[in-house]
Amino acid sequence: MSRTLRVLPFLLVSVACGGCDGSSGAGRDIIQNKGSDTLVFVALSWAERYGEINPSVAVAVSGGGSGTGISALVNGTADIANSSRKMRNREIEGAQSRGIEPIEYVVGFDALAVFLHPDNPIEALSITQLAEIYAEGGSHETWSQLGVSVPGCSSDEIVRVSRQNNSGTYAYFQDAVLGQADYKLGSLHMNGSSEVVDLVANTPCAIGYSGLAYATEEVEMPCISTDGGDCVSPSVESAIDGRYPIARPLFMYTAGEPTGMIKEYMDWILGEAGQCILVDKGFAPAGSVSCA
Amino acid sequence: MTYSDGGGGTPGQSLMFAATKLNTRNHRLQWLVRALFGLMTLILIVPVGIILGVLVVRGGPAISLEFLFSFPRDAMTAGGIFPALVGTMWLVAVSLMASVPVGVAAAIYLSEYAADNWLTRVINLAIINLAGVPSIVHALFGFGAFVIFAGFGTSILAASLTLAVMTLPVVIVATRESLQTVPMAFREACWNMGATRWQTIRIVVLPNAISGILTGVILAVSRTAGETAPIMFTGAAFFFPFLPHSVFDQTMAMAMHLFVISTAVPGASDELKYGTALTLITLVLLMNAVSIGFRSYLRGKKKW
Repeated sequence: MSRTLRVLPFLLVSVACGGCDGSSGAGRDIIQNKGSDTLVFVALSWAERYGEINPSVAVAVSGGGSGTGISALVNGTADIANSSRKMRNREIEGAQSRGIEPIEYVVGFDALAVFLHPDNPIEALSITQLAEIYAEGGSHETWSQLGVSVPGCSSDEIVRVSRQNNSGTYAYFQDAVLGQADYKLGSLHMNGSSEVVDLVANTPCAIGYSGLAYATEEVEMPCISTDGGDCVSPSVESAIDGRYPIARPLFMYTAGEPTGMIKEYMDWILGEAGQCILVDKGFAPAGSVSCA
Repeated sequence: MTYSDGGGGTPGQSLMFAATKLNTRNHRLQWLVRALFGLMTLILIVPVGIILGVLVVRGGPAISLEFLFSFPRDAMTAGGIFPALVGTMWLVAVSLMASVPVGVAAAIYLSEYAADNWLTRVINLAIINLAGVPSIVHALFGFGAFVIFAGFGTSILAASLTLAVMTLPVVIVATRESLQTVPMAFREACWNMGATRWQTIRIVVLPNAISGILTGVILAVSRTAGETAPIMFTGAAFFFPFLPHSVFDQTMAMAMHLFVISTAVPGASDELKYGTALTLITLVLLMNAVSIGFRSYLRGKKKW
């Protein structure tokens, strides 16, 4: 035991000195990339691929939601924030008051798909109907109000699956579909897009929404129409040509004009290699690219 | 419950030992209580058994050397868990380096030096309260104190120190309890030989208390390896394409990895999720087993 006790101070010192080495740079630079759960999936793939191409740079990716990424950028714990919504004026002012000028990049587009259980007979929904289902004060509470009966859903009640409130998807859906009205109370707030899909796939009464990239074969996606417009199915193509009514740009933000490795990484993402990875994951590219 | 007296006595005599109504009722009640409490104990074991069973059955096929020692691929929907495994070990090791010396020293002070005054009582109260703080609050504290204020950034160091603060009360309480089980007479005998307090602690008290201290460390290890919230803000990334080099790197971690592939990544197979959970629980059980083995070895050497 006495030997152990003599060793302890050295252990403490070694922890402290691990610091001295680390801060001087261990021969590898790190880019902190944080934010949107919609983008995290493609951000992971970018980081993975970039690590192979450029092993001297390590991209650490974390999710948590668009809001999480933006606040991390503002408080200096992220170099690049991923966001599935535009930064709000309030957030930009907050960043500027800390001397950070956020620079915006559109890295791709995402069709926001609505998910239904495969047993649900509905094949088309309008924005108005979605608002009646999700928005506070909306009249649709049961599937029979939409003129259908869903096999396996004996309660007839519409189970609304939504996202947590710091999600960019939540914010975009609120803006684009609910007309900025609040969500109805009693919606289920899921922490991840794939959680939404999983839940809807297993719940006949449910309706949910998230990025098209998260769709699986276990859920149905109705086509979406604006009032009087054509009903358009969500797809990469309909998001690119703008026919799908609820497609949104996906953003990345850097703190100030990027230089060095962050600039190189952003250039790579916006270049053909990065954009083709994005397309491969089910998103629409920011510009036209031809991918194999 | 009638006994024959064996001596061929009259039936009236053996009635003396016959169970009365009250006896029977008490016995029945006793049996009922025993069965009920036994059932409760069984219910306690059932979830553990089911969890382990399900994990082994569904996650077992995923476990292979390749799974354990390769990097995740295809946006974490395939490949292995090596960086998460290594990351968890870093987190556990660094946080123990911080929490064990501090916790043991504090416990020694509280148990061997401190007088029973208001200050000691306030410290004790603080320790108990620290143990009750929810892990997400620890996470926010760690984020403010270590990531932002101390300037460690999101790093293994910041995450480990947060975990250390969280596990500190466990180490302190377990150490103090075990120090107090060392009989006072041991210390008195040592003092009478002219030894100082520190000599007494070093030569007599600590060697006799080591098994209890290790219990505290075991508990700290299990908690450290399993926590997600405190490391989420302070040092763990969803994905980090390399193994960490220093305590200033970010890292992946098992608990976090499980959370991520279950909630954020589409298309991760169930086998991958169960395999990760199985590895995590095995890792904790293994670390515990090593400590428990060491502890029983030391206890075997105990001379009292």
